[in-house]
Amino acid sequence: MPELDLDTQVKLAIYEITAETGSVPNSSQISRKISIEEREVLAAFRRLHAKRLLLPEPGDPHRIRMAPPFSGVPTRFPVETNGRRYYANCVWDVYGIAAALHCNAISRASDGQTGEPLTLEVKNGEPILKPYVAHFAVPAAHWWDDLIFT
Amino acid sequence: MLLFRSEETVNQWCAAHNIPQRPLVNLEQLWQLAVHWYANRLTVESRRPALDEMVSIFESLGLAGPFWDPKSDQWR
Repeated sequence: MPELDLDTQVKLAIYEITAETGSVPNSSQISRKISIEEREVLAAFRRLHAKRLLLPEPGDPHRIRMAPPFSGVPTRFPVETNGRRYYANCVWDVYGIAAALHCNAISRASDGQTGEPLTLEVKNGEPILKPYVAHFAVPAAHWWDDLIFT
Repeated sequence: MLLFRSEETVNQWCAAHNIPQRPLVNLEQLWQLAVHWYANRLTVESRRPALDEMVSIFESLGLAGPFWDPKSDQWR
Protein backbone atom coordinates (compact mmCIF):
# COMPACT_ATOMS: atom_id res chain seq x y z
CA MET A 1 0.00 0.00 0.00
CA PRO A 2 1.41 3.44 -0.88
CA GLU A 3 2.24 5.70 2.05
CA LEU A 4 -0.73 7.71 3.17
CA ASP A 5 -0.65 11.49 3.00
CA LEU A 6 -0.48 13.36 6.27
CA ASP A 7 -4.12 14.47 6.31
CA THR A 8 -5.30 10.90 5.82
CA GLN A 9 -3.00 9.68 8.59
CA VAL A 10 -4.39 12.31 10.94
CA LYS A 11 -7.98 11.58 9.96
CA LEU A 12 -7.54 7.85 10.52
CA ALA A 13 -5.82 8.45 13.86
CA ILE A 14 -8.69 10.66 15.01
CA TYR A 15 -11.26 8.01 14.22
CA GLU A 16 -9.18 5.09 15.52
CA ILE A 17 -8.69 6.73 18.91
CA THR A 18 -12.31 7.80 19.06
CA ALA A 19 -13.61 4.34 18.20
CA GLU A 20 -11.27 2.68 20.71
CA THR A 21 -11.84 5.04 23.62
CA GLY A 22 -15.15 6.81 23.09
CA SER A 23 -13.36 10.17 23.32
CA VAL A 24 -12.33 12.41 20.44
CA PRO A 25 -8.56 13.02 20.76
CA ASN A 26 -6.72 16.34 20.87
CA SER A 27 -3.73 17.35 18.76
CA SER A 28 -1.23 16.11 21.36
CA GLN A 29 -2.71 12.62 21.35
CA ILE A 30 -2.64 12.50 17.57
CA SER A 31 0.96 13.71 17.57
CA ARG A 32 2.01 10.85 19.84
CA LYS A 33 -0.01 8.23 17.99
CA ILE A 34 1.49 8.85 14.56
CA SER A 35 4.81 10.36 15.66
CA ILE A 36 4.64 13.74 13.99
CA GLU A 37 5.08 17.25 15.35
CA GLU A 38 1.99 18.75 16.96
CA ARG A 39 2.23 21.79 14.68
CA GLU A 40 1.83 19.44 11.73
CA VAL A 41 -1.27 17.96 13.36
CA LEU A 42 -2.72 21.44 13.83
CA ALA A 43 -2.09 22.24 10.17
CA ALA A 44 -3.84 19.00 9.22
CA PHE A 45 -6.77 19.93 11.47
CA ARG A 46 -7.12 23.19 9.52
CA ARG A 47 -7.09 21.39 6.18
CA LEU A 48 -9.57 18.76 7.36
CA HIS A 49 -11.79 21.58 8.59
CA ALA A 50 -11.62 23.17 5.14
CA LYS A 51 -12.71 19.82 3.69
CA ARG A 52 -15.57 19.77 6.21
CA LEU A 53 -14.33 16.60 7.87
CA LEU A 54 -13.88 18.08 11.35
CA LEU A 55 -14.67 21.17 13.38
CA PRO A 56 -12.01 22.47 15.79
CA GLU A 57 -13.19 23.65 19.18
CA PRO A 58 -13.96 27.38 18.89
CA GLY A 59 -11.09 29.27 20.55
CA ASP A 60 -8.93 26.17 21.00
CA PRO A 61 -7.46 24.71 17.80
CA HIS A 62 -5.79 21.89 19.77
CA ARG A 63 -9.15 20.30 20.47
CA ILE A 64 -11.78 18.87 18.14
CA ARG A 65 -15.39 19.82 18.73
CA MET A 66 -16.79 17.55 16.03
CA ALA A 67 -15.32 14.70 14.05
CA PRO A 68 -18.66 13.83 12.49
CA PRO A 69 -20.54 11.81 13.53
CA PHE A 70 -18.67 11.97 16.87
CA SER A 71 -18.82 14.89 19.26
CA GLY A 72 -15.81 15.99 21.29
CA VAL A 73 -18.07 17.13 24.11
CA PRO A 74 -21.06 15.50 25.85
CA THR A 75 -24.36 16.13 24.11
CA ARG A 76 -28.00 15.19 24.53
CA PHE A 77 -27.35 12.33 22.10
CA PRO A 78 -25.33 9.61 23.90
CA VAL A 79 -24.78 6.44 21.91
CA GLU A 80 -23.91 3.14 23.59
CA THR A 81 -22.26 0.42 21.53
CA ASN A 82 -19.38 -2.04 21.92
CA GLY A 83 -19.49 -1.48 25.67
CA ARG A 84 -18.58 2.19 25.23
CA ARG A 85 -20.41 5.47 25.29
CA TYR A 86 -19.95 7.94 22.48
CA TYR A 87 -21.65 11.29 21.93
CA ALA A 88 -23.28 12.25 18.64
CA ASN A 89 -23.55 15.84 17.41
CA CYS A 90 -27.21 15.55 16.49
CA VAL A 91 -29.91 12.98 15.87
CA TRP A 92 -28.57 12.28 12.35
CA ASP A 93 -25.18 11.49 13.90
CA VAL A 94 -26.75 9.06 16.39
CA TYR A 95 -27.42 6.79 13.45
CA GLY A 96 -24.13 7.94 11.95
CA ILE A 97 -22.16 6.41 14.81
CA ALA A 98 -23.94 3.08 14.38
CA ALA A 99 -23.30 3.26 10.62
CA ALA A 100 -19.62 4.23 11.02
CA LEU A 101 -18.88 1.52 13.58
CA HIS A 102 -21.09 -1.08 11.86
CA CYS A 103 -22.46 -2.12 15.24
CA ASN A 104 -25.69 -2.51 17.10
CA ALA A 105 -26.26 0.69 19.07
CA ILE A 106 -28.74 2.30 21.41
CA SER A 107 -29.22 5.97 22.16
CA ARG A 108 -31.27 7.20 25.08
CA ALA A 109 -32.05 10.55 23.56
CA SER A 110 -34.94 12.89 24.28
CA ASP A 111 -37.63 14.99 22.65
CA GLY A 112 -36.16 18.36 21.67
CA GLN A 113 -39.12 20.24 23.12
CA THR A 114 -40.47 18.25 26.06
CA GLY A 115 -37.37 16.36 27.16
CA GLU A 116 -39.34 13.13 27.14
CA PRO A 117 -36.96 10.17 26.86
CA LEU A 118 -36.95 8.74 23.32
CA THR A 119 -34.82 5.71 22.54
CA LEU A 120 -33.24 5.07 19.15
CA GLU A 121 -31.84 1.65 18.41
CA VAL A 122 -29.99 -0.06 15.56
CA LYS A 123 -29.88 -3.86 15.38
CA ASN A 124 -28.24 -6.00 12.73
CA GLY A 125 -27.69 -3.07 10.42
CA GLU A 126 -31.24 -1.73 10.58
CA PRO A 127 -32.95 0.90 12.71
CA ILE A 128 -35.80 -0.08 14.99
CA LEU A 129 -38.40 2.18 13.41
CA LYS A 130 -40.67 4.38 15.50
CA PRO A 131 -42.93 7.26 14.50
CA TYR A 132 -40.45 9.87 15.72
CA VAL A 133 -39.23 12.65 13.44
CA ALA A 134 -36.07 14.69 13.01
CA HIS A 135 -36.44 18.39 12.33
CA PHE A 136 -33.87 20.05 10.09
CA ALA A 137 -33.98 23.72 11.07
CA VAL A 138 -31.19 24.84 8.73
CA PRO A 139 -31.15 24.52 4.90
CA ALA A 140 -28.45 22.25 3.46
CA ALA A 141 -26.60 25.19 1.90
CA HIS A 142 -25.96 26.61 5.37
CA TRP A 143 -25.23 23.59 7.55
CA TRP A 144 -21.58 24.57 7.97
CA ASP A 145 -22.26 28.28 8.59
CA ASP A 146 -22.78 27.47 12.27
CA LEU A 147 -22.38 23.74 12.58
CA ILE A 148 -22.83 23.69 16.35
CA PHE A 149 -26.31 25.22 15.95
CA THR A 150 -27.13 23.06 12.92
CA MET B 1 -30.99 18.54 14.08
CA LEU B 2 -33.22 17.50 16.94
CA LEU B 3 -35.41 14.49 17.62
CA PHE B 4 -39.11 14.82 18.39
CA ARG B 5 -41.85 12.39 19.32
CA SER B 6 -44.22 13.93 16.79
CA GLU B 7 -44.92 16.90 14.56
CA GLU B 8 -46.88 18.38 17.47
CA THR B 9 -43.78 18.79 19.62
CA VAL B 10 -41.85 20.08 16.59
CA ASN B 11 -44.45 22.83 16.24
CA GLN B 12 -44.16 23.67 19.94
CA TRP B 13 -40.36 23.89 19.65
CA CYS B 14 -40.52 26.09 16.56
CA ALA B 15 -43.00 28.44 18.25
CA ALA B 16 -40.88 28.61 21.41
CA HIS B 17 -37.74 29.48 19.43
CA ASN B 18 -39.41 31.63 16.76
CA ILE B 19 -38.05 29.36 14.04
CA PRO B 20 -40.17 28.40 11.03
CA GLN B 21 -41.01 24.73 10.72
CA ARG B 22 -38.76 23.15 8.17
CA PRO B 23 -38.77 19.64 6.68
CA LEU B 24 -39.35 16.63 8.89
CA VAL B 25 -37.42 13.45 8.27
CA ASN B 26 -38.61 10.04 9.43
CA LEU B 27 -36.30 7.48 11.01
CA GLU B 28 -35.94 5.34 7.90
CA GLN B 29 -34.85 8.38 5.87
CA LEU B 30 -32.53 9.43 8.68
CA TRP B 31 -30.88 6.01 8.79
CA GLN B 32 -30.31 6.06 5.04
CA LEU B 33 -28.74 9.51 5.30
CA ALA B 34 -26.44 8.22 8.03
CA VAL B 35 -25.37 5.22 5.97
CA HIS B 36 -24.63 7.38 2.92
CA TRP B 37 -22.63 9.89 4.97
CA TYR B 38 -20.82 7.72 7.45
CA ALA B 39 -20.64 4.02 6.55
CA ASN B 40 -17.03 4.37 5.34
CA ARG B 41 -16.01 7.23 7.62
CA LEU B 42 -13.36 5.18 9.44
CA THR B 43 -11.65 4.07 6.23
CA VAL B 44 -8.80 5.50 4.17
CA GLU B 45 -11.04 6.56 1.32
CA SER B 46 -13.71 8.27 3.40
CA ARG B 47 -14.82 11.76 2.43
CA ARG B 48 -17.84 13.96 2.69
CA PRO B 49 -20.19 13.53 -0.30
CA ALA B 50 -19.66 16.11 -3.02
CA LEU B 51 -22.45 18.65 -3.54
CA ASP B 52 -23.95 16.89 -6.56
CA GLU B 53 -23.77 13.57 -4.72
CA MET B 54 -25.67 15.14 -1.84
CA VAL B 55 -28.47 16.20 -4.16
CA SER B 56 -28.70 12.67 -5.56
CA ILE B 57 -28.77 11.15 -2.08
CA PHE B 58 -31.49 13.53 -0.90
CA GLU B 59 -33.60 12.99 -4.00
CA SER B 60 -33.32 9.21 -3.66
CA LEU B 61 -34.90 9.58 -0.23
CA GLY B 62 -37.67 11.90 -1.39
CA LEU B 63 -35.95 14.99 0.00
CA ALA B 64 -36.12 17.45 -2.88
CA GLY B 65 -36.34 21.18 -3.40
CA PRO B 66 -34.23 24.21 -2.53
CA PHE B 67 -34.07 23.36 1.17
CA TRP B 68 -32.07 20.25 0.34
CA ASP B 69 -29.92 21.85 -2.36
CA PRO B 70 -26.46 22.56 -0.90
CA LYS B 71 -25.85 25.08 -3.69
CA SER B 72 -29.11 26.98 -3.26
CA ASP B 73 -28.89 30.71 -2.63
CA GLN B 74 -32.59 31.00 -1.80
CA TRP B 75 -31.91 31.23 1.94
CA ARG B 76 -29.33 34.03 1.97
